[in-house]
Amino acid sequence: MGSEIQIAMYMTVILSLYINISICMYGVISKPNLIKKLISLTILQDSINMFLILIGYRLWRPGIVLQPPVLLDWSPTSEVLKQFLERAVDPLPQALVLTAIVIGLAVNIFLITVILHTYRHFGTVDMDEIGRLKRVVIVEETA
Amino acid sequence: MLELADLIFIMLGISALLSVPATILAVISRDLLKALIFSALQSTMYTLMFFLLMAPDIVLVYIAVSIGFMSLLIILIIKKVGRYERY
Repeated sequence: MGSEIQIAMYMTVILSLYINISICMYGVISKPNLIKKLISLTILQDSINMFLILIGYRLWRPGIVLQPPVLLDWSPTSEVLKQFLERAVDPLPQALVLTAIVIGLAVNIFLITVILHTYRHFGTVDMDEIGRLKRVVIVEETA
Repeated sequence: MLELADLIFIMLGISALLSVPATILAVISRDLLKALIFSALQSTMYTLMFFLLMAPDIVLVYIAVSIGFMSLLIILIIKKVGRYERY
């Protein structure tokens, strides 16, 4: 009975993440405002990071009490290490996601700077307006 | 009889389900400040999911970066650019 609830909730999490990713791709492609595109892009990054964390998660075996995944004594025996390896989650995706969050912060700050300079150049952040203004500028230069 | 692992998975599913309408409202909202607030709500739900998936180091970074710092920067650029989307 317990494992059925766990499997159903796990599938709910994966389905919700897929729905979030699809909604954010719709927002990035279809919305003309650049700031709305940026907000959708940040949510998209976070959803992908959540998938990576969800890969490294490990379910507790039944019979193992709930403890934090740290070693509690300074000189662990091999038995203690074996139990620790059975209940600890995988640390590799967490390290990857920690790096990806910081890189994503730098990329987002760069995108905010680009949006600010676009606004100072064109006077708007609407993509349709920017396309029309660029067409006007090209016609004026060639005429 | 609900065990503790079941409770953790139920909280995971509830927070994932609550992040979906926050994402929808953040994408379809015309007011950019409201969209930012809904995006911060979705980030809060993801923070709870990171904590339940036994990744507390990512929680410490993610709260500061995604809820605090990105919201601050996007509020600053919304103040410069204009609050309302045209259509």
